[in-house]
Amino acid sequence: MSQPWTNMKSWLTQFAADLRASTDAGLLGLARYFGLLYGPIDASLPIDQALRKSLRYRLAPHVGWRHALGGIAYLLFLLMVVTGVLLVVYYRPSAQEAFPSIQHIVSGVTLGWLIRDVHVWSASLLVIVVLAHMARVFFAAAYRPPRETNWLIGVLLLVVVLAFGITGYLLAWDQSAYWTVTGALNAFEEIPLIGGLTVGLLRGDPIVSGATLSRFFAGHVVILPWFAMALLGFHFRLLRRHGVAPPSDHDTMTTSQGRLFFPNHLLRSFMVGILALAIVITLAILFPRPLGVQAQPGQVPVTILSTWVVVDVSRALVYYTGGWGFALFSLLGLLLAALPLFDRGTERDLRRRPAATAIGLAFFFGFFGLWVAGRGLRTAVLERPSIEVSIPDPTIQPPSPVDSVINDGGRP
Amino acid sequence: MSALLFLLTVGFSGPSTDVSATGMGFRMLQQPPVRLDSTYGCLACHADKRASFNQGVHSERGIKCVNCHGGDPTATVLPAAHRGQFVGSPDKVATVALCGSCHSDPNAMRQYGLPSGMVAEFQTSRHGILLLQRHDENAPTCIDCHDAHTILRPDDARSTVYPTNVPQTCGRCHEDQALMAPYGIPTDQVEKFTRSAHGIALLDKQNFAAPTCLGCHGSHSALPPATKELASVCSRCHVQVGREFEVGPHGQAARDGELAGCLGCHSNHDTEKVQATQIAVTCSKCHAPGTRAQTLGEAIQEDVIQAAQDLQAAAAAVAEVARAGRQTGDMEFRYQTARTAYLQINQVQHHLDADRLEELTRRVRSISRDLRATAEATAERNWEHKLWLVPVWFLTLSWVALSWLALRRMERAGTRP
Repeated sequence: MSQPWTNMKSWLTQFAADLRASTDAGLLGLARYFGLLYGPIDASLPIDQALRKSLRYRLAPHVGWRHALGGIAYLLFLLMVVTGVLLVVYYRPSAQEAFPSIQHIVSGVTLGWLIRDVHVWSASLLVIVVLAHMARVFFAAAYRPPRETNWLIGVLLLVVVLAFGITGYLLAWDQSAYWTVTGALNAFEEIPLIGGLTVGLLRGDPIVSGATLSRFFAGHVVILPWFAMALLGFHFRLLRRHGVAPPSDHDTMTTSQGRLFFPNHLLRSFMVGILALAIVITLAILFPRPLGVQAQPGQVPVTILSTWVVVDVSRALVYYTGGWGFALFSLLGLLLAALPLFDRGTERDLRRRPAATAIGLAFFFGFFGLWVAGRGLRTAVLERPSIEVSIPDPTIQPPSPVDSVINDGGRP
Repeated sequence: MSALLFLLTVGFSGPSTDVSATGMGFRMLQQPPVRLDSTYGCLACHADKRASFNQGVHSERGIKCVNCHGGDPTATVLPAAHRGQFVGSPDKVATVALCGSCHSDPNAMRQYGLPSGMVAEFQTSRHGILLLQRHDENAPTCIDCHDAHTILRPDDARSTVYPTNVPQTCGRCHEDQALMAPYGIPTDQVEKFTRSAHGIALLDKQNFAAPTCLGCHGSHSALPPATKELASVCSRCHVQVGREFEVGPHGQAARDGELAGCLGCHSNHDTEKVQATQIAVTCSKCHAPGTRAQTLGEAIQEDVIQAAQDLQAAAAAVAEVARAGRQTGDMEFRYQTARTAYLQINQVQHHLDADRLEELTRRVRSISRDLRATAEATAERNWEHKLWLVPVWFLTLSWVALSWLALRRMERAGTRP
């Protein structure tokens, strides 16, 4: 009985001994053991050295849990890439087929429902985590020189994230998505000079149509990923060059005192990452995005469901403060993004830089407050439906209550 | 010379003399400009007829004043103009003959595809009998329903005999209580019709397949259908229901004159439905409680209510599955099958055939159960999605805990300086 177990144990012992016997760090030894690294290549290229260097790398001693936000954002981005690639295998970007293909993803593809809802939830959480990351950097005044370039790249990354969200929003091609995008483009068209031209290019048709869907799809899966990857590369490169900004009380960095990257920091990152992943999956399972009704360009629905945090916030802004409130809040966001260009002082204590603190508090807490308010408005009734119609039943006209239908079939 | 001056004045005064007709500006936009025939003398005095002179079918066909009224259209002053075979305004009886002089001539009407039996039909109608035989001046003649001068096609929305205008045209007399009193007929038909299924279909939904007054009473041969004719009148449109009714016991009773056709259970102008919950009550109007017929009525009521509820449940099931994101093509197909059976129930209940009714009810029920089961299976599958949370959190929490322990062990062992 114990024969196979003994075999396996001896094999494992041998494996561990081989691993320990290799002169390199664990990961490299493992790679070599499985033949992933070949001796001569290993010798002629400094892979060995490079890997060992990065594994022995020590983080700055002030790096703590609060610095995980950027990493979580990157994890969510990767999650969106993976789920997005899986979705694009089944998604068909045409006005006729988009909605049925999503129905198929949700009901016919193995785990398709989970992949789609993880993608949807990651889109919302990504915006939240990115803003939280920004808030941390902002309140710690880590955007000061020499890191102001990285702040601006971060702002551009936020723009890319928002563009991903806007283009992805339409792809669902249901009534809510269709009319939200219609409303947003109509509003954007009002902007003088650039509005009409930009919307004309984006929409490609007098109304949101299959042409718009193609453009948004191309933006979402072909154009934006290049920008995202380029900016991310630059963002990380600058981070490695300047390091994580030290707290205000000690300005000098002593790297020799910090935590080892391997295995301590990697284990901590693993804990954070897997928790974030579990939270996304949980939200996706518990609160799936409803499928809605296929887009009907001729029928304005009575209620529109919002499924993305930015739409929630915009809606709450427009609902409670009107168009000017929306414009002012956007201006606040722009001011925040451009702040490093003006704020070049050295004071990092929040209490001694009231203007920046006020702007930051107003924007970040305003955003989260508006999100909560907007979620209450998720199925808000449109204020003035231009045509008096109700959302038709997706499939059939169910018969009305017993008494009124009994005799309606006598006549063809 | 004076005549020429007069014509010029008429010409310049524009076409808006006939203000009384309808919204004038609207008509001016709709109609081609009035082309004045300055050689036509009648218009020198009868300026109010100029619109009719230019509009309508008669005008288009070149039928002018002289064709009906006689006289001399080349003259513009009075004694000369009313000379010749001058008719003037014919009385009601003469009007019938006058119109009939052309409209009863098959050779004249053939080219326009118009029937030529209208006067003959009119003579058989209640209106015709009153007017032509009893010389009752209250009875209508041709021009009481059709305009005397502006003869518009029936498919012209301004015509008095355009489908949606018919109830109003009939109501002009039939809603007049004083006028109808001597004949002892009610005056609420138009009001009832307006809120009936027919009236809603015709007036609200502009469904011209729905009958106007003429659909049941006829136009020129207007008469209320006789009791024995009733079922035939209704089944002209309600074909399947009529067929079932004719072969059933009630059809026999109607032919024997014991039952007022469809009116035995339904009403005429307001075409009331017998609601599902009122079927047994309706039966009890004629059938005593406890009789075989009354028991049958109760059974039919039960079946119909059951089928309606089952159909509703089926529709709800399809909608539920659609909401859950599944494609419902095959379910909708089955729903249509159930709906067809349900519609057949509405027909078959007029035959009073309990066996067929029960079979159809069973068919609706069986499909409804299938669809319900599919919906429940979908709901269950969606619930099963939540089970994924168990392994996800088990793995997450155990990995986090293990990592935490490993970290603590390493830090104690001094990996962290």
